[in-house]
Amino acid sequence: MNTNKSSTVKLCLAWFVVAVPLSWGVFKSVQKSMPLFGMKSAAAVAQPK
Amino acid sequence: MHFLDRAHSVAQPGFSRWMVPPAALAVHLCIGEIYGFSVFNVPLTRILGVTQSAPGDWTIPQISWLYSTALILLGLSAAVFGKWVERNGPRKTMFVSACCWGGGFLIASLGIKLHQFWLVLLGYGFIGGIGLGLGYIAPVSTLVKWFPDRPGMATGMAIMGFGGGALIGAPFGSELMKHFASASSSGVMESFLVMGSIYFCFMVFGSLTVRVPAPDWKPEGYVPSTAPKKLVTSAHVTADQAIKTPQFWLLWAVLCLNVTAGIGILGQASNLCQNMFGVPKAVGDGFAGFLSIFNMGGRFFWSSTSDYTGRKNVYFLYFLAGAALYSLVPLTQQIQNVALFVLVTALIISMYGGGFSTIPAYLRDIFGTMQVGAIHGRLITAWSMAAVLGPQLITYIAEYQKAHQVPVAQSYNVTMYLMAGLLVLGALCNFLVRPVHPRHHYTPPDAQPDLAKPAAAAR
Repeated sequence: MNTNKSSTVKLCLAWFVVAVPLSWGVFKSVQKSMPLFGMKSAAAVAQPK
Repeated sequence: MHFLDRAHSVAQPGFSRWMVPPAALAVHLCIGEIYGFSVFNVPLTRILGVTQSAPGDWTIPQISWLYSTALILLGLSAAVFGKWVERNGPRKTMFVSACCWGGGFLIASLGIKLHQFWLVLLGYGFIGGIGLGLGYIAPVSTLVKWFPDRPGMATGMAIMGFGGGALIGAPFGSELMKHFASASSSGVMESFLVMGSIYFCFMVFGSLTVRVPAPDWKPEGYVPSTAPKKLVTSAHVTADQAIKTPQFWLLWAVLCLNVTAGIGILGQASNLCQNMFGVPKAVGDGFAGFLSIFNMGGRFFWSSTSDYTGRKNVYFLYFLAGAALYSLVPLTQQIQNVALFVLVTALIISMYGGGFSTIPAYLRDIFGTMQVGAIHGRLITAWSMAAVLGPQLITYIAEYQKAHQVPVAQSYNVTMYLMAGLLVLGALCNFLVRPVHPRHHYTPPDAQPDLAKPAAAAR
């Protein structure tokens, strides 16, 4: 029972260690790709009236 | 250092196989940094001048050799050390990979400090490149053995990490350079030092976490399918024997063509978007970032899908759907439909990523699990070739188009059709893949017919 508990904790910890930087990387990429979705306004800003 | 040996990394009863994917991810997330190396291009040309290039500073063509050398060494080391990896197991390999990759950064950092380009090339290009090759193939055969029921998903998880490594490496490098930049330094040297140290620790974590299954281990409740599948062998082929089969070279061509075609978009994503649709640079860069998410996600999604569809079918999808989608790209430019363009290219790139992650499972199906890591290592040379030659091909076509005064917005059309053609060729290679002839199968020494016996009996 205790072994099972400790292995579950280890498992969660191992996934957490890799999930944190990966999530940060995905977040940064989503942040970087935001101008793509606000493209019309970006184009409008680029073209003075 | 005996704890690094294969014998010391055999899993005890009760070990969860789900501990192995994070171990593999820890390594691949680090080595995937190579795809985000371009953030260092310009700062590396300003080591002396800091704010701008000064006389004596390195040039962009020089810097691009760091990336190319690392990728060449990736393929070569994976091919040369594949059998060593199989013999010594994933733990020792991951540890050596950590020393090479982390150490490579540190040597390169010293090279920047002393402004000696050869030292940077030795560190990042050669030693780091060897770390890349070892780290890339190290967890593959282990994952395939831990997940005989879902090999595509397992390798997809690890190789997704390589795509994810670029998502982390590029912004991480940029943030560090921003932090360390001063009036006398562009911050690259310090960034390399920090990155090398962090990558080393992270990869060692992977090395210490990984385990190999006991020889008689099977997942709980797993019953191997008794219905024979034409392209899934229960036999084994050694790495030396595999390269003598046409199947190996057909799969080599499959990987090479898939990578070359993907580079057609991925390598120049930002410029492509800007030139075809006249959007600002920020939008072009956003498009590149968006594609890299699909590159990573596709590695997991398509490889997992292949567990249900079969590898050959999923490669047909990559190639035929990919060719059709590439042919659509010029149309999206003609009708100026950016949303359709983004959708089409994202699908193409997801399948490009899928091609990388499905190949180890395809190799396992064709050649068995015995030396799949070593065979994968030899196949990786196809990637090195494509990664170096692909961009050259794209650049040549672009220059040719420019010389013939083709409008910039339409100058990518030929490239797109060419990429579609390469994918059709890839589909043909995939079509020709057949099961390996039994004469190539491995026979254990004790199962070989003893030729000496009849002669002895006759005497």
